[in-house]
Amino acid sequence: MDSSFLPAGAESGSVVSGGANNGAAAQQQAPPLIREQDRLMPIANVIRIMRRVLPAHAKISDDAKETIQECVSEYISFITGEANERCQREQRKTITAEDVLWAMSRLGFDDYVEPLSVYLHRYRDFEGEARGVGLAPGAAPSRGGDHHHHHPLKSRGPGGGSGAAMLPHHHHHHDMQMHAAMYGGTVPPAPGPPHHGHGHGFLMPHPQGGSHYLPYPYEPTYGGEHAMAAYYGGAAAYAPGNGGGSGDGSGSSGGSASHTPQGSGGFEHPHPFAYK
Amino acid sequence: MRQARPYSGIFCGGVSARTGPHALPLARIKKIMKRSAGETADGGARMISGEAPVVFSKACELFVAELTRRAWAATLDGKRRTVHREDVATAVHNTDLFDFLVDVVTADTAGGDDDVHDDDNVGDGALG
Repeated sequence: MDSSFLPAGAESGSVVSGGANNGAAAQQQAPPLIREQDRLMPIANVIRIMRRVLPAHAKISDDAKETIQECVSEYISFITGEANERCQREQRKTITAEDVLWAMSRLGFDDYVEPLSVYLHRYRDFEGEARGVGLAPGAAPSRGGDHHHHHPLKSRGPGGGSGAAMLPHHHHHHDMQMHAAMYGGTVPPAPGPPHHGHGHGFLMPHPQGGSHYLPYPYEPTYGGEHAMAAYYGGAAAYAPGNGGGSGDGSGSSGGSASHTPQGSGGFEHPHPFAYK
Repeated sequence: MRQARPYSGIFCGGVSARTGPHALPLARIKKIMKRSAGETADGGARMISGEAPVVFSKACELFVAELTRRAWAATLDGKRRTVHREDVATAVHNTDLFDFLVDVVTADTAGGDDDVHDDDNVGDGALG
């Protein structure tokens, strides 16, 4: 009798008998509930952002804080939903940063795209640098799948137009100015003319001349992940060709304490395309 | 003396030195994204690039700032100094861009779990 009863209780918890079954039923209901800390941004962070834009004498009621907290989650869901549909249409499994930016421009948040691209650009720049210096060569990056080890130079090719883009000098300047932009604080959205060689930085701001040309709506024909890889390689990819040349340039851009001089050759990626 | 370091706030626009490189936790953003993304056509889990939450961390900053600014305008209209929930609601109703938030600010969905589908609870009618 016991042996026939126990499995039934453990299976569904539908038998009304004792406290043990109640416990099992409660456990089964637990998964669908989403804990607040998984559903919402931390309230302190939200408040901090709110305070930045409010005058000092302004007060915020608790219900307003909570409402905005809810709105942030809704915002993420809203944008992600759109990005997700796009991935579904194009039969891709991974939602990328580009999908998110695309979704934002689609849903009316066009104004965000440019500052976000700048932000992402700086992030990649910094990440590439940190990775190159800090990690052992060949340590696989966990971020963004495996496209880190694609061939940045190869994917830059079509964007560069002429072969000049392949020259180390070009990369040197490019690299230097990216640092300048990063450490120089804000990058003004200069209304400069669109850059003629618009290929390789398809939604990245162009460090040269500071003109940010963001050709949205972004055409899906362009290989997003490859262009991403080009930037992802960042400083690390260019380093072997730079020699000692970039050490002074980046060092003089002010306060780059965290920036290990590249001339030291402290990191050498075993990329097949490395300059010799 | 104080030099620019990655965590010094330059990274997040030089606004706050205490928040680290991102103003909002990436892991939390990713969780919310995962829930909204659902699964792929073949039933597999939708994957999310590591950079996507990075973009969102900044995007949410811009979003909260904009929503707050507009709510504050409503507060000032009412000649008050405390931002209330109604001010946020007013901001949402006055801004086309924020149409998707109408449900959030009109009905308090604290207990409810309205998930993936954003825009199909139209038929719910007047609740409560």
